[in-house]
Amino acid sequence: MVQIYNDYKDHADFLTVYVREAHPTDEWEMKSNIKDDVCYAQPKTLAQRVAIANDFIKRFHYPINFGIDDMTNAANDAYAAWPERFYIIDESGRIAYRGGMGPFNYNPDEVRAWLAARYGAVAHPAAPPTPANPAAAPPSTQPVASLNPPK
Amino acid sequence: MSPFWKWTIAVFLLLLLAAFVILSKLAGSPRDAYFMVRYALPHMHRGTLKVGDAAPDARLLALDGSTHFHIRERTGARPLVVIFGSYT
Repeated sequence: MVQIYNDYKDHADFLTVYVREAHPTDEWEMKSNIKDDVCYAQPKTLAQRVAIANDFIKRFHYPINFGIDDMTNAANDAYAAWPERFYIIDESGRIAYRGGMGPFNYNPDEVRAWLAARYGAVAHPAAPPTPANPAAAPPSTQPVASLNPPK
Repeated sequence: MSPFWKWTIAVFLLLLLAAFVILSKLAGSPRDAYFMVRYALPHMHRGTLKVGDAAPDARLLALDGSTHFHIRERTGARPLVVIFGSYT
């Protein structure tokens, strides 16, 4: 997602909204959370949400604007956001794109396609083959980082 | 208990077991299937928003922990890509 932000930040605004945790230690913790050292209990206070959000920002040097949903989960409820979902709101304040529910239908490529249809595609040159693996060149676009850390 | 009810209960339990096995397969393991039912399903809803609807507003807190702003304040000039998610 950061790559999409970098490609289109001159054309569109971006806002990340932190909602209730998907896999906290006191609920449905995943093995990958332990492996990646992403172990947090479900926040009970807004201060705890703020602390976790700041940990995320610092760890990944996350550049996109950030807002934190309140403890009534107002944003989450209004947008059916949990556990993760994309929207695009157009200039008239209407929903222009509504992504599917993550993680199975969480598709940054659809966001990129919407932006590309309006502002043109951004091409990324293929990286040259590396000496360690001369046969396989990396993909032409960089991996898209979602709000979640790699799993 | 009559044979009818015995068979009804047996079939019901068998269907329940089959559903759990399928869910375990989808979720990755029986543990994940349990947690999906216990924690994910109650919070999982599709919502009613669709393309063309007015975007709902909500008040958010900034990373400094004290400044509030509204989603609506960030819309208007250009399209706004909103990314909902959490750390875990």
